[in-house]
Amino acid sequence: MNDPDRLEQPWRLWASVAILSVFAFSVLFGFVLMPVMQGRAAGIDAFEAICRALGITPGSPAARQPTTNAKAQPATRVAWSADLLNSLTKATAAGESLAGSCAGCHGRDGRAVEVKLYPDLAGQSAAAIYKQLHDFKTGSRPSALMTPMVQALTEEQMVAVSAHFAAFPVRPIPAAQLPAAGAAIEGLVARGDSGRGMPACNACHGDQSGGPTEAPRLSRQSREYLAAQLRAFKTGERRNDIYSRMRSVAAPLTESEIDGLALFYASTRTY
Amino acid sequence: MLVTHARQLTFAHLWLAFLAFAVALVLGVWQMWARSPLPAPFVTASTYFSAVTAHGTAMAYVMPVFMIMGFGYYVAETALDRPLPAPRWAWSAFALGLAGALMATVTIFSGRAAVLFTFYPPLTASVFFYLGLVMVVAASWIWCVLMMVAMAQWKRANPGRPVPLAMFATVANAVMWLWTTIGVAAELLFQVIPAALGLKAQLDVGLSRTLFSWTLHAIVYFWLIPSYIAFYTMVPQAAGGRLYSDTMGRLTFILFLIYSLPVGLHHLLMDPQQSNAFKFLQVALTALVSVPTLLTVFTIGASLEIAGRLRGGRGLLGWIGALPWDRPLVLATGLAFLMLGFGGFGGLVNMSYGMNAMVHNTSWVTAHFHLIFGGTVVIMYFAIAYAIWPAVTGRAAPSLAAQRLQLWLWFAGMLVMTLPWHYLGLLGQWRRVATFNYADPIIAGWGPWVVVSLIGGVILLGSGLLFVLNLLQFNVSREPHAAAPGELYASAVHPPARVPAALNGFRLWNALVLVLMILAYGYPIAQFFVGDSPQALVHRVDERR
Ligand code: HEC
Ligand code: HEC
Ligand code: HEM
Ligand SMILES: [Cu+2]
Repeated sequence: MNDPDRLEQPWRLWASVAILSVFAFSVLFGFVLMPVMQGRAAGIDAFEAICRALGITPGSPAARQPTTNAKAQPATRVAWSADLLNSLTKATAAGESLAGSCAGCHGRDGRAVEVKLYPDLAGQSAAAIYKQLHDFKTGSRPSALMTPMVQALTEEQMVAVSAHFAAFPVRPIPAAQLPAAGAAIEGLVARGDSGRGMPACNACHGDQSGGPTEAPRLSRQSREYLAAQLRAFKTGERRNDIYSRMRSVAAPLTESEIDGLALFYASTRTY
Repeated sequence: MLVTHARQLTFAHLWLAFLAFAVALVLGVWQMWARSPLPAPFVTASTYFSAVTAHGTAMAYVMPVFMIMGFGYYVAETALDRPLPAPRWAWSAFALGLAGALMATVTIFSGRAAVLFTFYPPLTASVFFYLGLVMVVAASWIWCVLMMVAMAQWKRANPGRPVPLAMFATVANAVMWLWTTIGVAAELLFQVIPAALGLKAQLDVGLSRTLFSWTLHAIVYFWLIPSYIAFYTMVPQAAGGRLYSDTMGRLTFILFLIYSLPVGLHHLLMDPQQSNAFKFLQVALTALVSVPTLLTVFTIGASLEIAGRLRGGRGLLGWIGALPWDRPLVLATGLAFLMLGFGGFGGLVNMSYGMNAMVHNTSWVTAHFHLIFGGTVVIMYFAIAYAIWPAVTGRAAPSLAAQRLQLWLWFAGMLVMTLPWHYLGLLGQWRRVATFNYADPIIAGWGPWVVVSLIGGVILLGSGLLFVLNLLQFNVSREPHAAAPGELYASAVHPPARVPAALNGFRLWNALVLVLMILAYGYPIAQFFVGDSPQALVHRVDERR
């Protein structure tokens, strides 16, 4: 046993054999036996089951998919991509000419001609404007006035008009100050209410937030419009928010909180 | 032999490790407080996640890396009994790691890196956070090379002789760490850092999670191996006995090297981007980690039995009582094994597909790794520090009683903290959530358990501060330390005159690791490049509008 090679040979051999046979056993079991048996129970043929186990075809070898024939109903059909977000940063001449057809209600410069009836678009994030236009068009957010407005718009036109309005400055705060909203409302904005499972509005809407891409800017929007939207989310009449983010936030709000929050955002600058 | 270089290197590295540790402990207690029903100061979502990022980064990367580097330098000189090669490189690595750790810390505390220690792409932090961590890892790579060079030089000077087990194991860890860090390094360098620099607007989260999983299991063994080195080489000696089998030790460390790598997909059991078959394969390989673990329990048990019987222990279990439990290293080993028992049970739950589905992303997981990493591993780090500090400082320990108290407090605090924390996980409490709505009747019932965990955390903080105090005590001690540092290591019952090259080096095992990694991770990674894989939008957390 003192010859080094005689001592080495069996080590090399047996170590490799031991390790590779454990591996081979796992492969046989996990790649073949198990999927075939699971597939048989679920009525999936052996070849398909193995392909699924390996991840070559989608789905589980243990269950038929899809399990239901009901048609999926996404809250929205907008899918964010880097290219889309990038194109939303560029204001174009096409956007300007399209904006003419909006001016009757939302104003030339994105400031609504009548704030009690129409929302401001000036200074809104382009992503938020685009998201809503897209949703009006696909029916995710039905609206008697807006749905027909956007039917004719193409994808590129929606991008262009969004970038156009986003570039305008927000409406200045009026000389006659609105009354202050109060500490309780400011608490909801800054901290939420853990007692009711409500996150802070700031988590998604604030200056500091890293919130969802489509979260709109709220400050300087009209009180009436903000309150109407919160009520629409609360009742579920508006349901185009992904993951029910706004519906779940609005559901526990009281009527007076809704008015208070609308007042708060209508009279501040930075959210 | 312990010349000044290793002494100063070990001193500097371990102090840096324990400083990061002490700061992180304070944050840990505050985090538990924030999660409890008691009103805690400064709590907002962003302070909480910045704190967890700092705590996790310090505990998972900075503390263990510096601890392991410092201990490695110590072992290289004392076990091989020759000076460290290239101490200048070792000091450069220290400087690099320190600069990196500081850079990451500043970035986190300025609120620009609340992405947690697992990075969570497509979230991206300020690039300085990642660069800081890359510097820490690069420092550890220099250490790995130094360890391998030290062993190679020794082998050249001592042809045919077996490398001392402590050094063999240290190099096993260095080799494993080089393999381990490939995954996270690839994730950072090719995906996350380009995104943080704004060069990429989208990244493939499936790929980045897969690459991180490559690292995530093996890093756990990187943390653990110093404890095992202590079990095999220092504990039998401290107990007054001998190591039952040197070969078992070598096999154990080799098996860790092999089976800690091709198993990381068990961290992705609930992830859709990997298929059932590959998950099964890697879980089957995971189960084999039980082999070195059982080998260790058996070998260390036998070694301690030898010691107990040499000290006059009789009967089936009488040797246990005869062990010198007053010695910190022996006491720590006993407590570490108890925590390993509880933690090992939790680990079996985690690696079982069905049960994992129930505990996934709950507090069970955080409780589990606090028990096994914060408990078993860290208590042995304490014991190692106590054991080598006399040689490092040249002074004898002023008070063993204070050391024992500290270890007991750590053990008690860890159980008080983690057992309710596990239970909370079973009740469904989420991990990585800052505050809970205790007004909700379902969640209200969690409150008292979190408070118990918080009490455990306070005990741990006390123990951690006592540990720092105990090390400082060496500086005021007047009594010089007498014994030679080499006497720390146990000899085996049958000291090997020579061992096969397979048990004296890593060539064969590296080849096997390579084969296994290609088989186990080849397709799971390649699939992201052959098919159309969905990309996620990068979301910067450091960019405030
Ligand atoms: C006839 C008046 C009218 C015209 C013209 C009109 N809108 Fe509107 N718009 C509305 C009303 C009313 C609403 C509120 C809808 C609701 O609450 O359901 C609205 C809502 C919107 C919103 C959602 C804002 C938000 O913050 O949720 C966007 C975006 C919008 N319009 C863009 C446009 C664009 C772009 C055009 C031109 C292509 C346009 N609108 C033309 C009346 C009009
Ligand atoms: C979890 C993130 C989140 C939180 C928290 C949140 N919001 Fe929203 N909010 C959104 C998103 C996203 C939208 C856009 C919904 C969509 O896709 O149509 C939105 C839309 C709105 C709108 C409609 C604005 C418009 O122009 O159409 C109002 C009003 C609003 N939020 C108010 C609030 C208030 C008030 C709070 C706090 C009580 C709050 N939000 C909290 C994410 C959030
Ligand atoms: C006083 C003792 C400690 C307390 C009270 C404590 C508490 C906590 C808490 C509350 C979290 C956040 C969990 C979550 O949000 O789900 C956490 C995370 C973490 N802890 Fe500790 N901890 C302590 C000690 C330790 C030790 C000793 C280690 C390891 C050596 C450690 C390693 C970690 C790591 C790596 C994380 C990050 C987890 C993640 O990102 O999800 N902790 N700790
Ligand atoms: Cu693992």
